[in-house]
Amino acid sequence: MSTTMQEAKMADNSHGGVQVRSATAIGAARIAISDLDFYYGAHKALKAINLNLPDKQVTGMIGPSGCGKSTLLRVLNRMYDLYPGQRAEGKAMMDGQNIVDPATDLNALRARIGMVFQKPTPFPMSIYENIAFGVKLHEKLSKAAMDERVEWSLSRAALWGEVKDRLNSPAMGMSGGQQQRLCIARTIAVRPEVILLDEPTSALDPISTLKIEELIDELKNDFTIAIVTHNMQQAARCADQVAFFYLGEMVEVGPAEQIFTAPKEKRTQEYVTGRFG
Amino acid sequence: MPEHLVKSYDTELNRLRAMMSEMGGIVENQVALASQAILQRDSEAATQAVAEDPRVDALERDIEQFVVRILALRQPMAADLRFIVASMKMTGDLERIGDYATNAAKRSIVLSQFALPFSLAGLANMFRLVQAQLKSIIDAVGAGDTDMAIEVWRSDQAIDDVYNGIFRELITYMMEDPRNITPCTHLLFIAKNLERIGDHATNIAETVYYAVRGEVIPDARPKGDNSPYAVVRPQE
Repeated sequence: MSTTMQEAKMADNSHGGVQVRSATAIGAARIAISDLDFYYGAHKALKAINLNLPDKQVTGMIGPSGCGKSTLLRVLNRMYDLYPGQRAEGKAMMDGQNIVDPATDLNALRARIGMVFQKPTPFPMSIYENIAFGVKLHEKLSKAAMDERVEWSLSRAALWGEVKDRLNSPAMGMSGGQQQRLCIARTIAVRPEVILLDEPTSALDPISTLKIEELIDELKNDFTIAIVTHNMQQAARCADQVAFFYLGEMVEVGPAEQIFTAPKEKRTQEYVTGRFG
Repeated sequence: MPEHLVKSYDTELNRLRAMMSEMGGIVENQVALASQAILQRDSEAATQAVAEDPRVDALERDIEQFVVRILALRQPMAADLRFIVASMKMTGDLERIGDYATNAAKRSIVLSQFALPFSLAGLANMFRLVQAQLKSIIDAVGAGDTDMAIEVWRSDQAIDDVYNGIFRELITYMMEDPRNITPCTHLLFIAKNLERIGDHATNIAETVYYAVRGEVIPDARPKGDNSPYAVVRPQE
């Protein structure tokens, strides 16, 4: 072993060559949410949320049904604009711009913040067109450039190998897991910065679920990711940082290791151990 | 803490607690029997201590298998996860304590063949300290009492101090009369066994603390066994 290697080995905190990782360091915020409230008409569904989505890391959001975690995702790409009577107050800052400010350009925002839903929602068109459709709304690309973009996004979504010979077949003919990866490919095709995943694997079989989780791990090299999940083991596997929500409040946020081994708040402890009454 | 939504999970955790407490009880009794065997020259007690050992080994295996089963089937989190993993660690420590007690008890049989021209007061004192420490730590495990665990963790120093004294004392007896060498060597091993029991009780204290609080004991561990450096020379 060379001296430098020995020094490197001594410097890292390794046991038998395996790096022992302590709690993940949470990086700088890509989106900084502060004092964010959200209302469905008179009902206050989010109460003074303060949460950072760290850049190029995965934030898992957990909590019982109706706790506000999906609502928060919907706020982050202004999905609620479609419904009268729903409004957000407070700040969700991304590059100096407040996402919930009514003056924010929605089309530009949604190109930067993509979303994938619980059930795969492919368009009733070919696999190729499913990807190209969204890209055409934002960019004018030549046929060759579009082909390249389709291949790039399908490859990033770990789907290219399975569909490259049938790009013109209808997307509705794919399996559920493939459809969900297609939706992820469609989301990343417009090259967003943030991807919001709302229970992306709850309708999928275990193998497809693991493929999506592997994909999330891969995608966080380039994208900031927020995932809402009811599956705590999934949050533990995928997320760097986990936030626990209850009754519209964010009770606790911390590195995934901390939330699942030694949470600080009693309510978090009760929820993750399955004692919630 | 409130009960789990799934009742059978609580039943399993309670069963694990019961198994740990049963194992703790047997091991505590083994140390008491070893003490009786050595200090009172009671060979019946020695036989009983040795006879308990297979039960301890079997319980350790049962607890390990049960823990693996819970981990696989329940995927425990947070305080539950810490308690379950802690049980797996503590069962190993208890098994070692049982082995040391068994070994000490076996040596008492050889020891009883010798008339000892010196007192065993030091060893009796060490037995008292170790038994008190063991009782406290087994209670702390049952009650999840971290204050008691910290007390045990600190009290290991006193056992080490007594051990260092016994070590020097026994060497002196051996130098005085070579006929003392056989019983004194056995007594040295017995004292070392007790010192190791103290160390395992200290391990358990650290594990309980982590299981209950989710953090490690902040201070550095007191290390008091100086016998590796002890030199006793005959007077010139």
